[in-house]
Amino acid sequence: MATLNPPIRSASSRPPSLTASARLRRLARSYTLRVFAQAVVTVWAVITFTFFLIRLMPGNPVDVYIDFLMNQQNITYEEARARAASQFKFDPDANIFVQYGEYMGRLIQLDLGESITSTGTRVIEQIARFLPWTVFSVGLGLFISFILGVTIGTIMAYLRNSWLDNLFSLLASILGAVPNYIWGLLILIVFGVQLQWFQVGALRGTYNSSLTPGFNLTFLLSVLTHAALPVLVYVLGSIGRWMLNMRNSTIGTLGEDYVSVARARGLPPSRILLAYVGRNAALPMFTLLAIDIGFIIGGSVIIEELFVYKGIGSFLFWSISQRDYTSMQGVFLVITISVVFSNVLADLLYSQLDPRVRVGGGEK
Amino acid sequence: MSESVLRIDDLSIVYRTARGLVRATSHVSFSLAKGETIALIGESGSGKTTLSLALIRMLPAAAQITSGAIHYTRNGQTRNVLSLSPGDMRAFRWKECAMVFQGAQNAFNPVLRIRQQFADTAAAHGIKDPEVVKARTLELLRLVRLDPQRVYDAYPHEMSGGMKQRALLALGVLLDPQVVILDEPTTALDILTQRAIIDVLNEMQKRLNFSIIFISHDLALAAEMADRVATMYAGEIVELAPVAEMFYRPHHPYTLGLLRSVPKLDQRRDDLVSIPGDPPNLIDPPSGCKFHPRCQFATDHCHQEAPPLVEYTPGHFAACWHTDKVAAARSGFIDLKEVKKDDRS
Ligand SMILES: Nc1ncnc2c1ncn2[C@@H]1O[C@H](COP(=O)(O)OP(=O)(O)OP(=O)(O)O)[C@@H](O)[C@H]1O
Ligand SMILES: [Mg+2]
Repeated sequence: MATLNPPIRSASSRPPSLTASARLRRLARSYTLRVFAQAVVTVWAVITFTFFLIRLMPGNPVDVYIDFLMNQQNITYEEARARAASQFKFDPDANIFVQYGEYMGRLIQLDLGESITSTGTRVIEQIARFLPWTVFSVGLGLFISFILGVTIGTIMAYLRNSWLDNLFSLLASILGAVPNYIWGLLILIVFGVQLQWFQVGALRGTYNSSLTPGFNLTFLLSVLTHAALPVLVYVLGSIGRWMLNMRNSTIGTLGEDYVSVARARGLPPSRILLAYVGRNAALPMFTLLAIDIGFIIGGSVIIEELFVYKGIGSFLFWSISQRDYTSMQGVFLVITISVVFSNVLADLLYSQLDPRVRVGGGEK
Repeated sequence: MSESVLRIDDLSIVYRTARGLVRATSHVSFSLAKGETIALIGESGSGKTTLSLALIRMLPAAAQITSGAIHYTRNGQTRNVLSLSPGDMRAFRWKECAMVFQGAQNAFNPVLRIRQQFADTAAAHGIKDPEVVKARTLELLRLVRLDPQRVYDAYPHEMSGGMKQRALLALGVLLDPQVVILDEPTTALDILTQRAIIDVLNEMQKRLNFSIIFISHDLALAAEMADRVATMYAGEIVELAPVAEMFYRPHHPYTLGLLRSVPKLDQRRDDLVSIPGDPPNLIDPPSGCKFHPRCQFATDHCHQEAPPLVEYTPGHFAACWHTDKVAAARSGFIDLKEVKKDDRS
């Protein structure tokens, strides 16, 4: 009895506060709002975490520069230290919490700050310069891999347990088990160094630097040839997963009642393949695809470094080696946002493709 | 009732399994007249689904038709379904013979609206005019007593099991087939929904005059729906008779056993008899009459020689050496039923 009392009283004697709390609850349940709040908290947590974590790494930008000067120019530690101090605005001895406060204060005004090691360059400019190349190359790789993998996976499912299916399954397992940078190394060493199918040196960068960027064939061709190997590696590294996932999903779908019924209805095989089997089997693939979009940058670091492809991944690598805190933070922010965004995208995409989870769609 | 639409001739089907050949259907012959309903009864595993899948050639890959023919007649033209080309077979399905699968809870594609699935079916058989398809779809949805506008635009998950089953019946007759196979169409439904489906089915059949092959474990339902009943045992038709004949004067001990095992409200517990023994092994079936190990009337003869399907009274076929003994045994039991029937009227 005693435990029953409080809710009953609050329900009968305080109607105004109830409507207010009900409104609050409805607000909390609102999908968009919840997603947005989650995103903000996630971004803040990651920013804070990385802020302190990268400052815990041994060395700091000034030390790195001092080392560099001493090695390159054969000057004493004191001289190098003085030169570094005059070069950088950054003071490694400042209180870390004061630094954090300053950084967050600027971030709230959407200011990512200035690069520590390249004085005068804004981090946002660097991101704008490098990010498109990564989005282009990894995105292209993801696209090719998805289309090819899903197609081959479907074929494997239709021909399940045939020699072709067995062969592709073996291939997919091997492809899936080996990390993509191993493929990168193999390609460089076997086809570049040993067989000399291409000039390793000529493929540095994102395009031939003697060309001026523009919408002309030579430039676009140069962009494509420079991106070809990283893209190939991205495809090799992910296609096995698409093949196997799609194969298993399709085999599951082929056993569904509605596929048998569709055959009994005399539908042409092409219609069954696309609208009855493919559409249902591909549903989970699109969720995976959207989530993969979040890992575009993270997955590019080693590959871009390996192929000297000047994208955001290699920029991150460089920032880390220089201990360029602000640049690193900038890239981490982009990574966090893209991961959060891709999860939202996955949700949205799924609810668009699957009427069963569609909420408040245009139906009626 | 004279014109036959489907004539099955000596049909035998085996499944190749790791343990050996499963003889799921053996030497089945019967014909189905226009507008007629035949009910297939028989315990689980007796080959009812296998037989009906063969009619639209949707048997699983492990199955093989080892003998027989399926003659299908429309407008005086007869074709053997088993020798249709893949293209002709696709055209045959649903247009000539529609099938409601056993336990097909997800007969509709979850990502397409009901109207799209009707349109797909029509388009697959050359009817592409959207107005025609729409009018026909709405008419049929109304015929199965669904709210046509609502269901037309609905996704399958927005409908209850009973609604889906009705929509499936409507879809089944979309192309005006001559034969509709219903494999336990009401098993997953509650008794009221089941009733409604049966009423709808009867009404549709009256309007559209298609023939039905009705498979059910519910003998009362089979009795109500059917014009004729076929009892299957171990892949064979052991008795085939008009519905009243079958239920009041069964000639085969297995049919008698089936009838006796159905509980009645006004029946004492000890009158209820189950058939002793287990369903036969179809890989290595018993010699002679396959039912003999479970049969109370079995003699040496039954061991050695399989009884042929013999016509005892016009239209009443049974495969048993001892129909006289069955007749003697059924009298007590059947009297009870006839009394019951008199009570009701
Ligand atoms: N795909 C298959 N592979 C091997 N054997 C099968 C297969 N399908 C069915 N069988 C066997 O064929 C026999 C007949 O099965 P079928 O499904 O036709 O029976 P049924 O009369 O429809 O039974 P139920 O009333 O349970 O639906 C059974 O012995 C079954 O084990
Ligand atoms: Mg069955």
